[in-house]
Amino acid sequence: MDKSYLKKFSENIFKQLTADEDLGLFLHSEDSLFLRFNGSKVRQNTTVSQHELTLTYQTNHKVINMAFNLTLDLDSDLNTATKKIAQARIDLPLTDESPKFVEMTNNGQSETYKKIERPQDSEIPKIISDLFSDSDLAGLWCSGPLRRASINSKGQFHYFESDYFFFDYSLYNGPKAAKGFYSDEIFNHDKFTAKANDTKNKLSLLQKPTVSVPRGQYRVYLEPMAVAEILGTMSWGALSQASYNQGRAPLKKLKENELSLSEKFTLLENFNLGLSPLFNAIGEISKPEIMLIQNGKLENFLTSTATAKEYTLISNQASSGESPRSPEVRAGTLNQNEILKKLGTGLYLSNLHYINWSDLQTARMTGMTRFACFWVENGEIVGPINDLRFDETIYKIFGEGLIDFSNEQEIFVDTSTYMKRSIGALKVPGALIENFNFVL
Amino acid sequence: MQTENILDTEFKKYKSSADFVAFKTIHEHTRDLSVRNGKPDDISSFDDQGLLIEIMRDGHIGYGATCEMTSDGIKSAFSKALQMTEASQKKSVHKFTDHIRPPSRGEFISARQKPLDQISTAEIYDFLKKTSQKLKSSDQIITAASDAMVIECDQRYLSSNGADFHQNFNIIVNSLSSTAQSGSETQTRSLHGGRGNCLQIGAEHFNLDVALRDCETISHEAIELLSAENCPTETCDLILAPDQMLLQIHESIGHPLELDRILGDERNFAGWSFVQPADFGKLQYGHPMMNVIFDPTVSNEMASFKFDEIGNPAEKKYLIQNGILKAGLGSLESQARSGLSGVANARSSSWNRAPIDRMANINLEGGDLTLEEMISKVSRGVIMFANRSWSIDDYRRKFQFGCEYGKLIENGKLTKTLKNPNYRSVTIPFWNSLAGLTKPNTVETYGSPYCGKGEPSQIIRVGHSSPYALFKNIEVFGG
Ligand SMILES: [Zn+2]
Repeated sequence: MDKSYLKKFSENIFKQLTADEDLGLFLHSEDSLFLRFNGSKVRQNTTVSQHELTLTYQTNHKVINMAFNLTLDLDSDLNTATKKIAQARIDLPLTDESPKFVEMTNNGQSETYKKIERPQDSEIPKIISDLFSDSDLAGLWCSGPLRRASINSKGQFHYFESDYFFFDYSLYNGPKAAKGFYSDEIFNHDKFTAKANDTKNKLSLLQKPTVSVPRGQYRVYLEPMAVAEILGTMSWGALSQASYNQGRAPLKKLKENELSLSEKFTLLENFNLGLSPLFNAIGEISKPEIMLIQNGKLENFLTSTATAKEYTLISNQASSGESPRSPEVRAGTLNQNEILKKLGTGLYLSNLHYINWSDLQTARMTGMTRFACFWVENGEIVGPINDLRFDETIYKIFGEGLIDFSNEQEIFVDTSTYMKRSIGALKVPGALIENFNFVL
Repeated sequence: MQTENILDTEFKKYKSSADFVAFKTIHEHTRDLSVRNGKPDDISSFDDQGLLIEIMRDGHIGYGATCEMTSDGIKSAFSKALQMTEASQKKSVHKFTDHIRPPSRGEFISARQKPLDQISTAEIYDFLKKTSQKLKSSDQIITAASDAMVIECDQRYLSSNGADFHQNFNIIVNSLSSTAQSGSETQTRSLHGGRGNCLQIGAEHFNLDVALRDCETISHEAIELLSAENCPTETCDLILAPDQMLLQIHESIGHPLELDRILGDERNFAGWSFVQPADFGKLQYGHPMMNVIFDPTVSNEMASFKFDEIGNPAEKKYLIQNGILKAGLGSLESQARSGLSGVANARSSSWNRAPIDRMANINLEGGDLTLEEMISKVSRGVIMFANRSWSIDDYRRKFQFGCEYGKLIENGKLTKTLKNPNYRSVTIPFWNSLAGLTKPNTVETYGSPYCGKGEPSQIIRVGHSSPYALFKNIEVFGG
């Protein structure tokens, strides 16, 4: 799969349109290697070539999306697309005009290619298995090129191709576990080994006897990965304009100035992280930065052009789902080496797990502590904890309970692989929070 | 090129190229329509078609997947998969024999009266438009949403040791919901929770008269919730309706019994399990009235099939009998690795993912009470309907679930309507506090199209049927 195939395909398919018809093409393509590890050995290896093309057919203020997988046989793919357009011409007149219909426009042309250096695919099983032969490891290696394109019959042609890898894993000593992660532009064996040793050391810290912490309110430090989990749940509707208008709005009271978040909390969409395509599915290019929440005040919801059309608002070129694609939480002033001292007595949490809204309308979420989590007394680690369930609102976590963010942030590339690989990244600091509520 | 032809001709070229080779094709056509407030929100379709190649080398099975359904595409996919399988077998978790791929032959077609290829997109749209309009019964309803996923899935599997089977599924996932708003209060009520309303069924499912009656109830209850009291915070009796039991069964029985979790495959992602291999045959999972079955053989439930995706014939099996844990959810591979008994549950989300241990239909059998009798046994408690929130830890112990709609029970009678009903507990004490099940004729069947698991990640369709169930002394709370 490459750009020239798409050129040929699109030129041919656009010829079939009549004057009152428009067609958009959105491509997700990947040639991926997935290696699943358990016990530091390979459980399953899967190579995947997947090229999913969505045709957006529009006429008379009506719109239908039709996706199929390209076989890369041009005649066969054109034949499939032609049949789909013919079917749309039958189906669409029998439906109604869309309240969020957006006229197709030419949003320009662009090409982006990103290359990395990494070992040959066939070397990976041995590299990982050998490096962790002294450990009990479970995890996933993912690598290979991922492509996105947004093309339309008005002349638009955006193409993005990025090769990248990540290794997302955890190490075990019985039920005690520490999380590790490695992703880089150049795979460096020494760096990989150093990071692996960090995770092995973290696991050894868990050797101390487990402390049983009863439910209650505690001062906590969330490592960046734990903050990323909370942000991930917030991304699920809380920052979307359409969700707000349609009654799924955890931040309704923030929007309506009834409640506020901490002045220390600033959240923006920041495409300068450079890890996700600049164009959305319909080819719109977003501004490099979109302020969402500035010093605790809501500045903007993510607003797609479709939502803007429906509610007569201004678009900020969000994706159709209005989830952030490249979010950043700004850093605070907490020094890395004074975190334990500032935490004093409380919980040091490396990861959170399975977070869900427990009461969406009041922005309350519940979830679990996971992996390396410690009880700390007077700035000293006492020992690992039994996992705890929290139930707490965003207005506490990033509001009245927030003491400070760390002055260093971490970048996490999107590791989601449901149905296909996701692309994107987020950049977050750690967070020191008081009176964090644990319920079970 | 046609999938059927290419599968047979291409398979012949490769079937002797390794210790074992299998080709599986999936062609799944999904129409996904949403109508909001009587207008189209999304009209889309997806033809998902591709090939999964399985190769065994020295007891290790590796996979290659491609949507390039041409001779060249398959050649390239096969050679990449073979290269990676060679590299991986030197560091493999387990050495299998080809007994984990039975030579099954046959066909499955899910029960239907009117096949889904006989209903047009316009007809589906019309059903959704009418129901959406009905859901918007007043100006207080700000969002009246009617959605349907209409899925036709065709699966074929050929293997070098003689398997040749074909399965064809018709599936409908239909959701109806009203979101009501008044001042700062917003409440959503839906038909059996988000996407719980799903079955293997044909177009006969779209019964407009029945659906319009459902819409009337849903929109009425959404408005009722605006002025309802919050669920109280206390420890009391709890009755769960089947449309919440589906989630309770799924999270606190289904997932912890998956043998691949117990074997540690999921530790880095979905999690491990509190269940230990030695617990099978011994652990008092719940009250002796509790009987839970794995059963892909029932008609119309979401995850019915004749074979799992590696050709293991499906059979009904007791997972928990009289409250005792009997068997886990482990495929032939997990059975070989663990030495435990299991079921036919190697399933994958599509052609681009390897099969892993999955739930299928996991059902709780009925008891001996009518719902009225069950309510009359409760002096103080809450009955909860329709899941809206779920979270459980990675060992599947500590859970917290929330529902859309509740009723207070006082002195054996339903009294006030309650909003934001939630409860939390720990799996084994919870199931041992079970104190009553309604009769088999009250069992309702639901499911989920979105059970997530696996690295790389996969979603799978599951079915769950359950009666109403009564639990003693559970922590409940409100919003
Ligand atoms: Zn699940």
